[in-house]
Amino acid sequence: MNHSVIGALCLALTLAGYYASKALYRRQRKVWFAPIIIAPVIIVTVVISLNISVSDYFSYTHWLAALLAPATIAFAVPIYRERQLIKQYPLTLSLGVLTGLVLGVGSSWLLTLVTNMPSQLSHSLMVRSVSTPFAIEATGAFGGIPELTAMLVLLTGIMGMLICEPLFKVAKIRSSVAKGVALGASAHGAGAAKASEIGRQEGVIASLTMIFTGIAMVLSAPLFAALLK
Amino acid sequence: MASLANRAQIHFKHQALTGAQITLLCLFAWGCQILAVQIHSPIPGSVIGLGILLLLLASKLLPESSINLGSSWLIGDLLLFFIPPVVAVIKYQDLLEHYGAVLIGSMLIASSCVLLGTAFTVDRLFKFERKQRLRKHLASSKAQVIPLHPVAQNHDERKAA
Repeated sequence: MNHSVIGALCLALTLAGYYASKALYRRQRKVWFAPIIIAPVIIVTVVISLNISVSDYFSYTHWLAALLAPATIAFAVPIYRERQLIKQYPLTLSLGVLTGLVLGVGSSWLLTLVTNMPSQLSHSLMVRSVSTPFAIEATGAFGGIPELTAMLVLLTGIMGMLICEPLFKVAKIRSSVAKGVALGASAHGAGAAKASEIGRQEGVIASLTMIFTGIAMVLSAPLFAALLK
Repeated sequence: MASLANRAQIHFKHQALTGAQITLLCLFAWGCQILAVQIHSPIPGSVIGLGILLLLLASKLLPESSINLGSSWLIGDLLLFFIPPVVAVIKYQDLLEHYGAVLIGSMLIASSCVLLGTAFTVDRLFKFERKQRLRKHLASSKAQVIPLHPVAQNHDERKAA
């Protein structure tokens, strides 16, 4: 088959897989049916089982990935919309973002020290706690690989989403601000989605924290990279 | 029938408006990326664009309503845009098969630490900042007749109790 036909079919597959998993989640509100888990699983399974090469897969779908940049810019709107909330708790939010950022990079760094992973993997791990568009921009400073970074970011998000509720219960975390900031700073978009299921305010705070942690990561990545060399 | 046609028209208008706003944001993002390359900026174009857009909104030069629909769509479907790089990871299939178990186990421990560490810190900070606000609020409400209670704060106190 022609390469560009395969490429176009891959784009169709990606769109179909994504919208189908969204529709499925509307009917089955179980965490295992969340689009962030189901959509990549479906699409990766099809691509692997049909033996499609990555370059064919990427020939048209890279236009989807190109939308990550305007999506990053669009984050200005929620920041502007929630400016009252930001003015109310500037200290909690900014120090919360800082704590999440330092713990995120620090924990990844410790993890690479004790596990002896190849450098491709360990360098891509450093930015795993921030949202994908920011992580892909920041990973270069650590010598990470964008594709591996994207996958590790996704895994981190899924984990945060799955472990947050039992952890909050055991650690007796009750305030919605603490839950929101922790989820946004450690599990980015997936955490923010989970937080908005817990409550509206948790969701807003998690989204804001996710955006600020992402920006802070992009700005401070060269500094972290120099420190941890 | 008339109302149905009317509704279809409104729906179409909504779609067209969303599309136009997304196009606008894409063009702006493209411009910012070119700018970042031209000035050899260490900050990526998308983050520069975020800053510029925020300034435009804050200074009221650009009304929020003019990019509301487009930005909601882009943020709401963020997952769709990073599926391609995630799928491209099959290039590193061997690496992931070999280190997958170690990776997942150690990431679980690390993520738990980040989640709990941040939650604990924020919990303390929030209590401190709320106390400060209340104190400031009490001091000023003696002077003012009408006390103002921010909604978010009340909501939170009820939850924490």
